Amino acid sequence: MADNGDRVFCHACGGVWLLDTREDGSDNSQKCPHCESDFTEIIEIPPESPEPEREAEPQSPPVNPWADHNPWAQEGSIPPRTSGWMESGSPGYSHRSYQSPDGRFTFSSTTIGSSYPSRHDAQPNPVLPLMMQSLGTLFQGLSGTYDNHQTQRGPGMGMPPHAHAAGMRGSDVMHDPFQAQEERARRHDGHYPHDPNGPQQITAPLQSLADLLDALQANGGTQRNTAGRGAQGMALQNPFALLSALMNMGHNGDAVYSQEELDRVISQLIDHTQQDTAPPPASDSDIDSLPKKKMTREMMGSDGKAECSICMDSVELGTEVTVLPCTHWFHFDCIKAWLSQHNTCPHCRRSINATGVTSPGEGTSENPVVIPDSPDSSPQRRRRRSSPFTSQSIRSARSSRSRSSRTSPTPEMGEPGTRRGSGGESSRGGITGWVWSRFGGSSS
Amino acid sequence: MALPKRIIKETERLMAEPVPGINAVPHEDNLRYFDVSIHGPAQSPYEGGIFRLELFLPDDYPMTPPKIRFLTKIYHPNIDRLGRICLDTTGPPALQIRTILLSIQALLGAPNPDDPLANDVAQRWKDDEPAAIQTAKEWTRTHAMT
Repeated sequence: MADNGDRVFCHACGGVWLLDTREDGSDNSQKCPHCESDFTEIIEIPPESPEPEREAEPQSPPVNPWADHNPWAQEGSIPPRTSGWMESGSPGYSHRSYQSPDGRFTFSSTTIGSSYPSRHDAQPNPVLPLMMQSLGTLFQGLSGTYDNHQTQRGPGMGMPPHAHAAGMRGSDVMHDPFQAQEERARRHDGHYPHDPNGPQQITAPLQSLADLLDALQANGGTQRNTAGRGAQGMALQNPFALLSALMNMGHNGDAVYSQEELDRVISQLIDHTQQDTAPPPASDSDIDSLPKKKMTREMMGSDGKAECSICMDSVELGTEVTVLPCTHWFHFDCIKAWLSQHNTCPHCRRSINATGVTSPGEGTSENPVVIPDSPDSSPQRRRRRSSPFTSQSIRSARSSRSRSSRTSPTPEMGEPGTRRGSGGESSRGGITGWVWSRFGGSSS
Repeated sequence: MALPKRIIKETERLMAEPVPGINAVPHEDNLRYFDVSIHGPAQSPYEGGIFRLELFLPDDYPMTPPKIRFLTKIYHPNIDRLGRICLDTTGPPALQIRTILLSIQALLGAPNPDDPLANDVAQRWKDDEPAAIQTAKEWTRTHAMT
């Protein structure tokens, strides 16, 4: 498929296709393959594209090793040209699209790179950026698909030249977080891969939103695996939040425009950095060395019933439970799950190390121990610290609070930083602590 | 992810023995998400108001405490304008939904400007408590009695 650079724009559906890549013959090559409309026009590729290289490099080879990967394709069952990836382009301008076999989804991406005729040369290791580009393509396509409902004439239609054609803000937003760096490099000439005759979108506010996302991406994204699904960073959260916002599925709409949303973002960021004020995890050896005991009559409640206050399952007489130094008992598995996050009793908050039996790093409120730089060499110590579920949004304004005497009997409560050093039962405050002392963790 | 037995038990008990003045109903399509309403305690600036909250049980609840937020606007030194509540929710797993809701109800009855979350409200509460209480009453009338 030779690429002479000529494209045809359909005024009816907004589609753009390469003149010579039509699959249904050459006699009506100006008929729109998507909506069968005759209202089409041959357009020229961006004038910046280096003319001489057109002949020399008829088609950019797919630099992305996965470009041809088609997860939906099944061998033999799909006509080769009606689904899967299509790639077209010339130096400096490439259009890739994917159409799912049933024709319901169409992903497309258009990239211009007038200064970089060959991406191979510019990218020593093209895999990661291209992976990101693929993701960007995916989301752009998803949002484009959504938008196509407005313009679509029938199933199996191709891609709009750009999801922008319908004044869609989504594609821009979804596009940017993933493609930011690449895109920025290409965009410097200010040219946009957009049909000059098509409706132009208003980009100003979105530009700023995209920029904000870019900044977030640059801040957080680089430290994490950019494709990591487990990562909890804002950098990744935002594109998805935006995706759902775009589709009006979530309440995150208008994301960072509103003060409330900004507060939410900030409080999440605070949460992520304030985990250190919580009691540290107990080591596995500490947990394993806790005494176990069979339930006795005395340990049962006055009504002869008892339950583990973590799982709330009833515990029968004779069941083996794990007893903390404070004499509160739990199922071993239940208390292990808790202690591997925080080394305090779920009931009375006393540190399990308060007796000094196991870890020398803990003191009591009467006899605090200064924590050295590395309190525990055990890698288990901080294992759960990064659990994605440990953020607590309600605590977010902790830093602005001063602990009240109501909630905190011990003097060091005023400084959160000392809380780790005090293994005493009062090592937390707040209204929960107050209520805790009032209601005593009534578990039944 | 299957709903842990504990959540089912807690929900059952909340339904069977509701806390006076507190109503917590899980969503049909998400049993971890509760619509909560708390009646303003008597003799508090919030008396007569019904305050709506949302409560969500995270995936590793009870190891991670519930996330709770006021949906109804409220003028309170320990509740900020986003509805976030000044609860030290590193709270242990022995703390239940019921206990936490009780603690919030108690907080309405006993605002504590010395442990503020909404700094401006707390400051006003300290500087001019009658005026602050008057504002709280007005807000209750405006937002919690509709």
